[in-house]
Amino acid sequence: MENPIIKVESITKNFKGLKAVSDVSFEIRSGAITGMIGPNGAGKSTTFNMICGYYPPSNGKIFYKGEEITHKHPYEYTNMGIARTFQIMKPLGNLPVVDNVVPSAYFGRYGAKSLKEAREIALDVLNFTGLYEKRKVLAKDMGTPDQKRLEMARALATKPEMLFLDEVMAGLNPAETESAIELIRKINDSGVTIFLIEHIMKAVVSLCEHVIVLHHGEKISEGTPEEVMNDPYVMEVYLGKKGENNA
Amino acid sequence: MKTSTLTPYAIRKRIAIVLLLTILAVIPLFLSRQPYVMNVFILIFYTSTMSMAWNLLGGMTGQNSLGHAAYMGLGAYVAALFVTKAGLNPWLSMLLSMLIVGGLAGIVFYPCFLLKGPYFTLVSIAFGETIRQFVINWDFAGKATGISLPFGAESFLEFRFMSKAPYYYIGLIMIIGVYLLMRKISKSKFGFALRTIREDEDVASAIGIKPMKYKVYALIVSSMIAAMVGSFYAYYNRYIDPDLMLQSYSVEFVLPAIVGGAAFVEGPLVGGAILITLSEFLRNEFGAILPGINLILYAVVLLVVIRFRPVGLLGWFSESKLKKMIDVKILKKSEKDEEV
Repeated sequence: MENPIIKVESITKNFKGLKAVSDVSFEIRSGAITGMIGPNGAGKSTTFNMICGYYPPSNGKIFYKGEEITHKHPYEYTNMGIARTFQIMKPLGNLPVVDNVVPSAYFGRYGAKSLKEAREIALDVLNFTGLYEKRKVLAKDMGTPDQKRLEMARALATKPEMLFLDEVMAGLNPAETESAIELIRKINDSGVTIFLIEHIMKAVVSLCEHVIVLHHGEKISEGTPEEVMNDPYVMEVYLGKKGENNA
Repeated sequence: MKTSTLTPYAIRKRIAIVLLLTILAVIPLFLSRQPYVMNVFILIFYTSTMSMAWNLLGGMTGQNSLGHAAYMGLGAYVAALFVTKAGLNPWLSMLLSMLIVGGLAGIVFYPCFLLKGPYFTLVSIAFGETIRQFVINWDFAGKATGISLPFGAESFLEFRFMSKAPYYYIGLIMIIGVYLLMRKISKSKFGFALRTIREDEDVASAIGIKPMKYKVYALIVSSMIAAMVGSFYAYYNRYIDPDLMLQSYSVEFVLPAIVGGAAFVEGPLVGGAILITLSEFLRNEFGAILPGINLILYAVVLLVVIRFRPVGLLGWFSESKLKKMIDVKILKKSEKDEEV
């Protein structure tokens, strides 16, 4: 792959005796949407958190645009142009929606100089993510779909080049999923590279051009969604072995 | 907002503020014969200022310190020592005290911020008590006897006055100054960083805020204000002792913010005015009837407020019909005044 935006080199994470992720390597192509799938406990979130600087890997290296970022702190990522969302939504509950996004405008790469400027950026982002109407609502009073959107709005307001989305569609109904897919595509069209973890296959298939499959902390397959879905081992992991029940 | 575009609401709001300030400014003219009432006002001023200092760290940043009396006491001690031992000017001593206490708090408490939530609170109590024990056993600072400041002729330069009026005005300037600073912080980049940290530190990290850095900054500003109040206290009372740092005083600085509404910059002001007036009133009316009954009544009032208005009086007021009525009927608020 030419000039990947993110390059992960055989990262491993041990939690005491447990090997959560073992020797995983992959690359994320600049400008594309890359997905990561796998059953529960496969190590997706751990991998995600290692790349985003929340857990330092026990072994291995991570590169962003050719620069090693393995041991950088999460707060150093923003200025490099990397943003993330949290799987379990973390809205700033006691603040109105717009004030949830204002800090990103201040501290992100827009570097707003005044509250007025930060508000304008925040409102633009809320408009883009479809939360403008709810700008005055307290974040904790919103439902799951809107809180998931707020996660993305907050990340986007830092003006990232690379966006990590951790299960932003979990818990949404089909219609809400559809509009979330639309939003993610819109974000990607605006020039942001996206890496996402998702359980909803429909979303992965329709969005991603490259998919990585994890199982038991190891990468078991990689390729286009079709290639991956037709991989016998992936099918076995997801659907069980053929004739297993009859044997 | 430009002057030319002032709505009737904005004009009336300004008139109300000017009116309030005028009343506060002329009060000493009418109360010059009543030093006790003046004393209550001064008490309200410095306690509310302390509460605002606490609120920067507790209310805005979510780091509940129960050791703020120690910063105030330390501030009082440093200032008093400079005045009595080095013969420095009290105003200069106040400034030095703020710098020293701010620096000390920043360095000593830095490791405490590795602890979160209740653990931080516990350590803040322990540190406060450590400082008090240190002062009690410190020969140079008069051990448990404390320090008396020199008496003498009235002098602004020496921060020494016969009547209470000058202390009243200095206290008033202090509370207004700190309030304006807090308001400024609340609307600034710094304030948004603190609130983000209060709500969730992981989120703060994810959008480029270094939590440790901003927590320490908040602590330094907070302890500097505490040191200023402490110096004022020392000059006003002309005598300080280590009891100033008792942990129970720390709680007295927390209460105004909680009762008034810790989420609001104005919370400590409202809480301070109400609580101190109430506690002084109860002490006068009931203290003589049965010793301690005033404290019991005070506790009952606190319980009721916290039980029914956990977000503080302002939290309730800002959503209430009363505020709507005042806004619309008296201040002529229109829809144009709704921000964003």
